[in-house]
Amino acid sequence: MKYMLLIYSPELAWTHDEWTACTIASGKICQELHAQGRFIAAAPLHPVATAASVRVRNGTPLITAGPFAETTEQLGGFFLIDVANLDEAMATALRLPSAQKGTVEIRPVAHLEGLPPDHFDQRATDHRDHSRYMLLCYDDEQYWNKQGPAALQAAHREAVQLAIHLSAREHYVSASPLHPIATATSVRIRQGKRLVTDGPFAETREFLGGYYLIDARDLNDAIAIAAQHPGARVGTVEVRRIVNLPDSQ
Amino acid sequence: MLGIAEGITMGSDPVIAATIEVLFRTEHRRVLATVVRLVNDFDLAEDAVQEAFLAAADQWPQQGIPVHPVAWLVSSARFKAIDHLRRNSKLRVLSADLVRRVEATAADHRDVSEQDIQDDHLRLILTCCHPALDLQVQTALTLREVCGLTTEAIAAAFLVPPATMAQRIVRGKAKIRDAGIPFLIPGADELPLRIEAVLAVCYLVFNEGYSASSGASHTCADLSREAIRLGRLVCELCPDAEGFGLLALMLLHESRREARIDAAGDIILLEEQDRSLWNHTFIAEAKALLTRARAAEPIGGYTIQAAISAVHASAATASATDWTQMVAWYDLLVQATPTPVVELNRSVAIAMRDGPEVGLKLLTPLQATLAQYHLFHAAHADLLRRAGRRTESEVAYRRALKLVQQEPERRFLMRRLRELH
Repeated sequence: MKYMLLIYSPELAWTHDEWTACTIASGKICQELHAQGRFIAAAPLHPVATAASVRVRNGTPLITAGPFAETTEQLGGFFLIDVANLDEAMATALRLPSAQKGTVEIRPVAHLEGLPPDHFDQRATDHRDHSRYMLLCYDDEQYWNKQGPAALQAAHREAVQLAIHLSAREHYVSASPLHPIATATSVRIRQGKRLVTDGPFAETREFLGGYYLIDARDLNDAIAIAAQHPGARVGTVEVRRIVNLPDSQ
Repeated sequence: MLGIAEGITMGSDPVIAATIEVLFRTEHRRVLATVVRLVNDFDLAEDAVQEAFLAAADQWPQQGIPVHPVAWLVSSARFKAIDHLRRNSKLRVLSADLVRRVEATAADHRDVSEQDIQDDHLRLILTCCHPALDLQVQTALTLREVCGLTTEAIAAAFLVPPATMAQRIVRGKAKIRDAGIPFLIPGADELPLRIEAVLAVCYLVFNEGYSASSGASHTCADLSREAIRLGRLVCELCPDAEGFGLLALMLLHESRREARIDAAGDIILLEEQDRSLWNHTFIAEAKALLTRARAAEPIGGYTIQAAISAVHASAATASATDWTQMVAWYDLLVQATPTPVVELNRSVAIAMRDGPEVGLKLLTPLQATLAQYHLFHAAHADLLRRAGRRTESEVAYRRALKLVQQEPERRFLMRRLRELH
């Protein structure tokens, strides 16, 4: 099963040295997971100060600076792993250095038929004029429950079309919906003790329902792509630039 | 679900019907546990097991009772599950893989061994008490899937509407399925932590039954019995010192059920209970368990609490209580769980050994942290009363009365206050 590990921590709690040490330690875990065939992708994100949030209402894109939700702890990075079950995902999450300082939210990735295959090569860094972005799609689950399965399927078809379109233009890296928020598990370590909670890191009305990883020329380009996501018409798409690490793949 | 046992008794051979009924009562959840592992789906397994019992009622009168009835039921349920998957065309497309897997395991598990069934039973408990599930969900799932209680009965015991409880169970099953919670016994390094979680659920269920038993509801007494049954099961499947300790603790509490409430539903304190009403079979069993639990190093919190309770159980009268031994156990408990409430109880035990004035001195540093805890003021009032400081005692009882929530406890404090005069 595929899992997305979302790392939340207060950005200000890290000194530059701590951040670097954490990145190196995380990199080692990535290599280990890779050797075991469990690694898909991982990266830190640029601080939320560089984020943009995109909504489309009545056909008009509304762009705001900053993240989707103002919280004291921010999404600072992610791991995408392929392991046997939740126990293995939890064991991996608890090993991450960030679990000591922040919280790791574990989300099972849902399967969506028709998505193009992942494309995690170094395209973004090879082309100096491109950067890699993560589009975080926040949805109101209750809205979709009310609309019924047909509406959700139509939105999924549209999302697949967008992925295929991006793939054709070499913008596509990876995308997937996540299982509903009720399947989330959050873990952290405090004073050497594991703390496991049923549920997401933060209780908000809109939850992370899926993601796209894309290569785009710049933030404007990434925002334009985000505005085409069907979820932007109902929820919010947060655009976050990924930190390119020399050995993050 | 409830119709199964009735369906069996109707129109079939009475001996075979009785056998199936006993099997249903004693083996139903074990059969379910194994089938859950084989088909990896709670609801599918539940339906298939029901059908297997019906098939037994239908076939055994002609074919006779099989040599290994449990293995027969597992095997039959597995084929029923395959039938279900094949019949449901939508599922056939989605779970072709599942059908293949179930068929493959069908060949592998022609004979399900007793060990497999034991392991599956433990797997089922560990899955229901998985730390990624909310404690309320763990409790609901354990009572439903492991203990086999109906959703309505669980809802009634926890005083929530049946729909709320049903939703909690559905949510738990969905998370197990979609989040990939495995049906596994973890490795030796992980198992103690997971058993700890199981014991926590067990104790929560017990306390729910025990503390609510002053009310009119009989289901609550059932919850305590279920918790003890579950405790026994865990001890059998995964012998563990703290498991023995918890089972001993629950049995000691339960042994006083008849003595702790009077005809009017009021609480009778331990020192005032009629000790001839205590269940001495439970006490003897608890003491035997404690001997096993105390062999472990370090001694865990449940075992220490059980040992404290056993000191009371060993005293023929309240005045014969061995307070020196009691204080020694409280010293250990303070080390294991250094909380202000444990400190409070230890102070009371010391007061019983060395006199109320000594106890009162020990309460002073706890006053700030426990200011909002009614039992602190109740204990304080009691020590002042014993020390003959009536006016101060009255003030403390009034403070306790301001904070108390439960009606029987309030009545008890009122009575104590009246007795001061």
